[in-house]
Amino acid sequence: MTFSSMMGALLMTMGMTAFAADLPALSHSLTEQAANAPAPVLALKDLDGQLHDLASLKGKVVLINFWATWCPPCRREMPSMDRLARKLAGTPFVVLAVDIGEDADTIHTFISQLDATPSFPILLDPHARIMQTWKISGLPTTYLIDPQGRIAYSAVGGREFDHPDVERQVRALLKP
Amino acid sequence: MIKTRNGLEQGSVRNMLYFLCALPVWAITAGATETSRDPETGLESWQVETRGIQVRLTQISPDQARAFYQARGFTPEQTEDYASSCVFMTVVRNIGTLPIEHRLADWRYVAGDGMARALRSKAEWDATWVDRGVSEPARIAFAWAQFPATQTFHAGDWNQGMTTYQLPRGSRFNLIVNWRAGDAGRKTTLENVRCTDDIQ
Repeated sequence: MTFSSMMGALLMTMGMTAFAADLPALSHSLTEQAANAPAPVLALKDLDGQLHDLASLKGKVVLINFWATWCPPCRREMPSMDRLARKLAGTPFVVLAVDIGEDADTIHTFISQLDATPSFPILLDPHARIMQTWKISGLPTTYLIDPQGRIAYSAVGGREFDHPDVERQVRALLKP
Repeated sequence: MIKTRNGLEQGSVRNMLYFLCALPVWAITAGATETSRDPETGLESWQVETRGIQVRLTQISPDQARAFYQARGFTPEQTEDYASSCVFMTVVRNIGTLPIEHRLADWRYVAGDGMARALRSKAEWDATWVDRGVSEPARIAFAWAQFPATQTFHAGDWNQGMTTYQLPRGSRFNLIVNWRAGDAGRKTTLENVRCTDDIQ
């Protein structure tokens, strides 16, 4: 059982919707980045040792999520990110989840607790070096990169990524 | 039961994460600060919402702090410095329309003696961990688990992280929160916050 589903089941059992409402709510919109700055370099290996280079993904919309297994909102938002990725399968939409400061064993243990293996690659930044390049202050932080390789949207804190508001923002970037 | 490399049960870590997230029904008390108590754990929360910002503090018990950091590579001895502080899960959310920016160095807490104290910074903690020989992965996890020293929140943005207060168990204090919204400096106070006891 996932952390979020465990939480949900527990809350439903208790019949305490007010209790559920007191979790820090996941937001459901992304902040537009008017500057449209080019995305910094991101080239990291995934859990299988395969290199993923953001520069090679020009022409695609890329959602980059910085997270860690110990970060509660990161864990809560991950299933919604997977649902969005599956919903947009077949479109030029790519999700990259960058784990910060942890080793592959820790991440594998976390994934083994999920109902379904994430459909997107999980990249490793064990020394948290890329965080400085991307000027990230806290986890989770997410960026949506447009097909030209520019930062189009950002999100600080947990999101419900398959919420219609977020999906609408992603689909708008996917339009030719 | 799966165990981590540090011998902690996965279930324990998961339960601890649950405690960090789960909060009970809120009760409004005098003033702008709302308080609540988790009926299961007994841990208390304080929250204020004003002028586009929501700030919440939730007690983290010493055992929860120990479990969290031992699961991230700290030895039991290394966690004691931290667990002996008053530790709170701190959540800040932009509930307005203007971007807001906080600087933790500007926050102050005032206990019964009336002295305004600055929060111990991540950099100060990190110097302690270097002295104590804490591993790099554990130090990285520690740094990211603390509430950021400064951060900009656009509408809907939020973050959570730990903050510490160097006060005896059971102490009460007011937390003065300073932030900027656009060009304006703003301030609010979480009143009568209480450090958790050793045993919950």
